[in-house]
Amino acid sequence: MAPVGDTSVAVGGVLSRLPLGSLAMVEKKAGPGGDERRPTPTFAYYRRGVLGERYLSSVGASAVAIAREAGGITILAGKVLRSLFPPSMDWRELVRNLHKMANRSVPIVVLTAFFTGGIMVIQSGIFVKRFNAAGLVGWASGYAVFREIGPILIALMFSGRVGANNTAELGTMTVTEQLDGLRALAIDPIRYLIVPRVVAMMVSLFALVVIGDLIALGGGLLFSKLILGVEYSTFYYSLVDNLTPGDFLHGLIKAAVFGISIALTSCYFGVSVRGGAVGVGRAVNAAVVAAAVSIMLLDFFLTYLLG
Amino acid sequence: MIEVAGVHKGFGHQPLLRGVDLQVPAGRRYGIIGPAASGKSVLLKLFCGLLPVDSGEIYIDGTDITRLREDGLMPIRNRIGMLFQNYALFDFMSVIDNVSFPLVRRGVEHDEVVERAVARLKAVGLAGSEHKMPSELSGGMKKRVGIARATIAKPEIVIYDEPTAGLDPVTTSKIYDLLLADQAETGATVVAVSSDVTALMRFTDTVAMLHEGRIRYQGPAATLRDADDAVVRQFVRGDMSGPL
Repeated sequence: MAPVGDTSVAVGGVLSRLPLGSLAMVEKKAGPGGDERRPTPTFAYYRRGVLGERYLSSVGASAVAIAREAGGITILAGKVLRSLFPPSMDWRELVRNLHKMANRSVPIVVLTAFFTGGIMVIQSGIFVKRFNAAGLVGWASGYAVFREIGPILIALMFSGRVGANNTAELGTMTVTEQLDGLRALAIDPIRYLIVPRVVAMMVSLFALVVIGDLIALGGGLLFSKLILGVEYSTFYYSLVDNLTPGDFLHGLIKAAVFGISIALTSCYFGVSVRGGAVGVGRAVNAAVVAAAVSIMLLDFFLTYLLG
Repeated sequence: MIEVAGVHKGFGHQPLLRGVDLQVPAGRRYGIIGPAASGKSVLLKLFCGLLPVDSGEIYIDGTDITRLREDGLMPIRNRIGMLFQNYALFDFMSVIDNVSFPLVRRGVEHDEVVERAVARLKAVGLAGSEHKMPSELSGGMKKRVGIARATIAKPEIVIYDEPTAGLDPVTTSKIYDLLLADQAETGATVVAVSSDVTALMRFTDTVAMLHEGRIRYQGPAATLRDADDAVVRQFVRGDMSGPL
């Protein structure tokens, strides 16, 4: 059995994970000839120090990692911007990406938007009935869809479908040296691969939000009639009398900004992949999370700024 | 001419190249051999500026490419054709699109592009595979597509990283014959890395051996087997006993 006060035994595995300097300090304090006026470190005392140090170091490491990723995305944005003035990109790649990103996303956006319109009517139904506010259903649906639900929902869906795919594609190209292959052929991967994708994603999300807004209103119109018994004309006049083009524009500005944000994060995480297939998986995960967080943050600031 | 002077390159805290010096005369076929993970492929990427050096200089016809930024490297890369160890074929393009890509980017007329790409694929034994995608090809076929892409624009410098890895002996001989004929026709400077030392010695006129981050041997391919250095001799002969 270990003697009382023998901290090297008492703290067991914790000690083995300490920096060498810390270990020496403990031995000096606790061992024979140590400073006896100071209390011998106990397990709890030590654990607090270790955990505190670990917590701080993990917070610091996370902050550095976030700053590094944000810096990388900013540098990529600068390179993309420099390639756009004057426009210098591969137009065939742009068309290919527009088809892949916009055209093929239409069915899922239509489906989602249609039922989103319906869900909003169901949610508001109880109040419409309670306050006999059928005249406000069109306004409420349009206001929410144009300014928030449309851009956010479609952006999140776009990020999951197109952004993740984009990161995986670029990540695979990176780990299989295809980007180096382009560079070896004197082709700038930023101009050839990234710029067309950024432009295509911005345009695609903008167009998808326009389509999604209209479909969601269509869904709202239909479900208002079917569930709440609100006449089509009531819904229509409630919408056009109370909403302005500014409400529609508000959502479109958000869509364009979200599109750029998703494009930059997905491209950045794609081209900075390290470590083969596992690295590609990690990059896709990171890209989707970063895009979702950036959408929410940007939405907050844009809503505040645009009013 | 390619001249490498005192090049150091490492990854993280792990040094890989520790002062490489070599000269590749213009119009020659130069081979680089060495144990696995000795930095041969990294050295080839440094020739194109695909990786930055930690220190040292690399001159391509008198221009120190280590001082050039990405934009400045583009004219140099236009003069180089490179075959990557892992092919680096563009997987969203068909075989013929991959091969014709360097010509398309140089603005060559469409008909000429198609004619040259088809001829090139026939030369590497891939006639009839024009419209396949890279995912439908075997490793050896991908390698041959990579060779066709690296050489179709008749570059002044051609870099081959393991040009015959994964190929059977007959195809290996055919590929080296093709590379020899190409070089004879264009007079290009060729640098090749291969684990197949015997085949490489037949193809190249000068060979360098990279070992522990430095050039251990540089000289005629013909005398490599009888090199004074015991390490070189053992590596080339594949002896079990020796300093390696």
